[in-house]
Amino acid sequence: MPIAAIILLPLLGAALPPLVARHGRPAPAWAAALVTSAALAITLWLTPQVLAGGEIHSHRDWIPLLGLSLSFRLDGLALLFVLLITGIGLLVFLYAFYYLPAKDGLGRFYALLLLFQGAMLGIVLSDNLLLLLIFWELTSLSSFLLIAYNPQTRVARQGARMALAITAGGGLALLAGFLLLGAIVGSFELSVVLASGDLVREHPLHLPALLLILAGAFTKSAQFPFHFWLPNAMSAPTPVSAYLHSATMVKAGVFLLARLFPVFSGTETWFYLVGGVGMFTLLFGAYIAIFKHDLKGLLAYSTISHLGLITFLFGLGTPLGAVAALFHVGNHAVFKASLFMAAGIIDHETGTRDMRQINGLWRFMPYTATLAMVAAAAMAGVPLLNGFLSKEMFFAETVHTDWLGPLNWLIPTAATLAGIFAVAYSMRFIHDVFFNGAPIDLPRTPHEPPFWMKIPVAVLVAACLLIGIVPAQTVRPILDVGVDSLLGFSPDFSLAIWHGLSLPFLMSLIALLGGLALYSQRQRLFAAHDRYFPRTSGAAAFQYTVLRVRQLANDLIARIDNESLRRYVAWLIGTTIVLAATPLLLGDFHLAGERAPTPLDGIAATILLVLAVATLATVRVRRQRLRALIVISLVGLMVTLTFIHFSAPDLALTQLSVELITTVLMLLALFFLPGDPALSVSRWRHRRDLTLAAVAGLGTAIVAFALMTRTTPSISDYFLAFSKPFGGGQNVVNVILVDFRGLDTLGEITVLAIAATAIVALLWRLRLPIRAGDPTGRPWADDRHPLIMAAMSRPLLPLALTVAVFILLRGHNSPGGGFIAGLVAAVGLILQLLASGLAWTEARLRVSYFALVGVGLLLAAATGLGSLAFDRPFLTSATLHPHVSILGDLELASALAFDIGVFLVVLGTVMLILEGLGRLNRPGAANMSPRGED
Amino acid sequence: MLIELIVSFFLLVGASFALVGSIGLARLPDFFTRLHGPTKATTLGIGGVLIASVIYFSARSAGLSLHEALIALFLFMTAPISAMLLAKAAIHRKVTTRSRVPPRFER
Repeated sequence: MPIAAIILLPLLGAALPPLVARHGRPAPAWAAALVTSAALAITLWLTPQVLAGGEIHSHRDWIPLLGLSLSFRLDGLALLFVLLITGIGLLVFLYAFYYLPAKDGLGRFYALLLLFQGAMLGIVLSDNLLLLLIFWELTSLSSFLLIAYNPQTRVARQGARMALAITAGGGLALLAGFLLLGAIVGSFELSVVLASGDLVREHPLHLPALLLILAGAFTKSAQFPFHFWLPNAMSAPTPVSAYLHSATMVKAGVFLLARLFPVFSGTETWFYLVGGVGMFTLLFGAYIAIFKHDLKGLLAYSTISHLGLITFLFGLGTPLGAVAALFHVGNHAVFKASLFMAAGIIDHETGTRDMRQINGLWRFMPYTATLAMVAAAAMAGVPLLNGFLSKEMFFAETVHTDWLGPLNWLIPTAATLAGIFAVAYSMRFIHDVFFNGAPIDLPRTPHEPPFWMKIPVAVLVAACLLIGIVPAQTVRPILDVGVDSLLGFSPDFSLAIWHGLSLPFLMSLIALLGGLALYSQRQRLFAAHDRYFPRTSGAAAFQYTVLRVRQLANDLIARIDNESLRRYVAWLIGTTIVLAATPLLLGDFHLAGERAPTPLDGIAATILLVLAVATLATVRVRRQRLRALIVISLVGLMVTLTFIHFSAPDLALTQLSVELITTVLMLLALFFLPGDPALSVSRWRHRRDLTLAAVAGLGTAIVAFALMTRTTPSISDYFLAFSKPFGGGQNVVNVILVDFRGLDTLGEITVLAIAATAIVALLWRLRLPIRAGDPTGRPWADDRHPLIMAAMSRPLLPLALTVAVFILLRGHNSPGGGFIAGLVAAVGLILQLLASGLAWTEARLRVSYFALVGVGLLLAAATGLGSLAFDRPFLTSATLHPHVSILGDLELASALAFDIGVFLVVLGTVMLILEGLGRLNRPGAANMSPRGED
Repeated sequence: MLIELIVSFFLLVGASFALVGSIGLARLPDFFTRLHGPTKATTLGIGGVLIASVIYFSARSAGLSLHEALIALFLFMTAPISAMLLAKAAIHRKVTTRSRVPPRFER
């Protein structure tokens, strides 16, 4: 699995920089460089094999049902990208170390860069579409985090949000496209998809699949009209711009075009869509770039334009077009990364990126200036540099295009025009920054940057020159295998610098001269642009849309949500009634089933009668809250008795402890409620509520009666039969909780833990007015913790805990279990809180309830995972039957560990909530009420 | 037969004390005397029922049934505390003795 190692190294290695961050500033940089070097070394070790024409595959099933597998492939195309990602990555790491402010800890930054790197490598090495998509979205996420590296600035946050919305949104479209493609082909394996080109192109779903996939590619590669996120992403630190937003991540889109080239290319739709969008983006980006005063803005639009060029070349669908596109991917990455780094150096040394201020830097930093000028010349397409070669191939391809018939001449003309623009903005980058008089109002006096900061730029510029002068000896082999893996054959192409006096050369010449001429007339051009160019921008439209959507959502919420609990409950119950009644009324419904009702016994009748009376009494005294609380606890007690009467001891125990705890919680909450609960409720609302309540109650009774008089096939029989043989316990209720429905329970305790955390967060530092006395104005009693009560409740704690442990241990076979035990233990603790106060208890009980909850959750999850070690499904339980002298025959199921987890979570949750509420009447209120002492 | 007679006797004793306590709670004239009533019900009243229970279950099964002792223990711990807390609350609220108290427990 050496291929997987290439991806895993950076992904796992991302944890390394933060870990070593405390060993000094260079440590994270070294760690990141080490990880990337290892990945690069593995790649280089595999390179000869790929160059010899061998594709390397590896495959491992992940979720076969979904068609998701861990398949990787290292072919020529992937190799080209891997070398770019790791190679430029190393240079960026070196550069970033000097670029970032000395006060910044570098752990997080390098971790994010490595995370991105791993994800990007994953995209290019995936041999499974779904796997590719996972990595695809991961790059969007890491890009989001990197753009917002300085989250304090509004621009950074906005740019990050925009980039995430556009690229991740495109990712969703891509997912849909992949699903369609997978449905057409019958597999998500790339190898299968690539071999099914004809099938895909003739399938009726071809167009939707293509459109969705292109939406993904175009958003990622910043093609018009999705381009605007890229300039807004320039608020990222410059190393990020150099790495993600020019050299690698934005190439993911064109990589996808290349990957699926054999499947989709060559159709008319492909040409018009991909070629059209590419050509327009090429022209548009190049034109806008001329007018950007921000250094990085110019480079960003130039990047958009070059990405358009590559897209256009793929859109042509010709073998030589693909060659030129691939070649330009590499060339652009090399010169644009170095230009971004140079821009970063200038920003770093002058304190600004505004080209109206930075002029004449040649005198201050001649070395940097030389490097930047060479790179900019490569961008413009000056001979002897790498940009010239691929641009020349591009021009040649436009000349040979035959898609538009009589309008064929349009394409080379547009290409030449784009070339003119490119030369103009490159000229601006050179002339405006390094010459053109003296600097104006610079925040800092510039000078050459540290030596090692220039090295990455120098390396990249040297690569520009080398590729530009001796292409055949440098990039030819990699380009050959890359093209081969794309097309299945190596087309005949020449990488010579001089092809004779051909049309493409003429176009290059026109572009160079035209660009110079255009730049010399820049003052007039700027004025015309300001006057005539429409002021709308994609970013503004995006922000406007986001704003409107948010407004719409707010309006909608305001309409539904009037913060009246009464109303919500009315809607909830009303909807339930309608949903439940409709099928009953429409269908053939008989009230009584075939089973005769059991005869009514006296005890049950009494309990039910008291229950009904207590319920009505609660309604009657609802305005007097304390009284209502007392009466409603009678309701709970009667329910408990019902459970006991019908032999459900587990339920009864649970109900009893829940009843107790909720009463205490409500008493605590009652203390903070405003004094007078009298609300004027209209007669109409009264009638509405009464009707709803009556109908709902009657309906429930009818359904219950109908259900209980029928013998419906039930899963209970299964549980009863297999509780002992499968679950190893005789208490079916408990076996269901910890075994049959263990996953449900795990989910439930997770929800409990989340709820506890949320409640603590909501109550955190909450200040509620604490009244100095009761509603009649009488002050609170002085004796807050009566001695007798405190003294008598203390011995109850060990008793309660013993009972809890007992209930917990025996729970698998007799009534009990973790849930009840947790509640019983909580009751014991609550008693101490009530009798002796929060401070007293806290001083003696040094347990973090958060830790209880956390440990409980981990224990339960670990027990579930434990069964995986024995190749059994998640949460399979195992049993042991040791005989312990005093306790008798013990049933040690692994479910017990799970139950202990449940116990801890329940105990911790209850105590967290209670403590949070109890704490409310403590802080800062000392001067307001005698209660403050606690 | 004899066992059943004894059990019935203790049940009746317990029940009558519980009844007397309840009547007292409803009929006695003020808060503090009323506080007196339920204590009869919890001590002698429930005590009688518990004794009956001990005898009945000990006779029915082989060993001596002492679960009831626990119930008694907890009653002895909680009853005085709740009574004391009620009394303290009454004192705090300045409930006067012999004041006119509505005849029924409700309200």
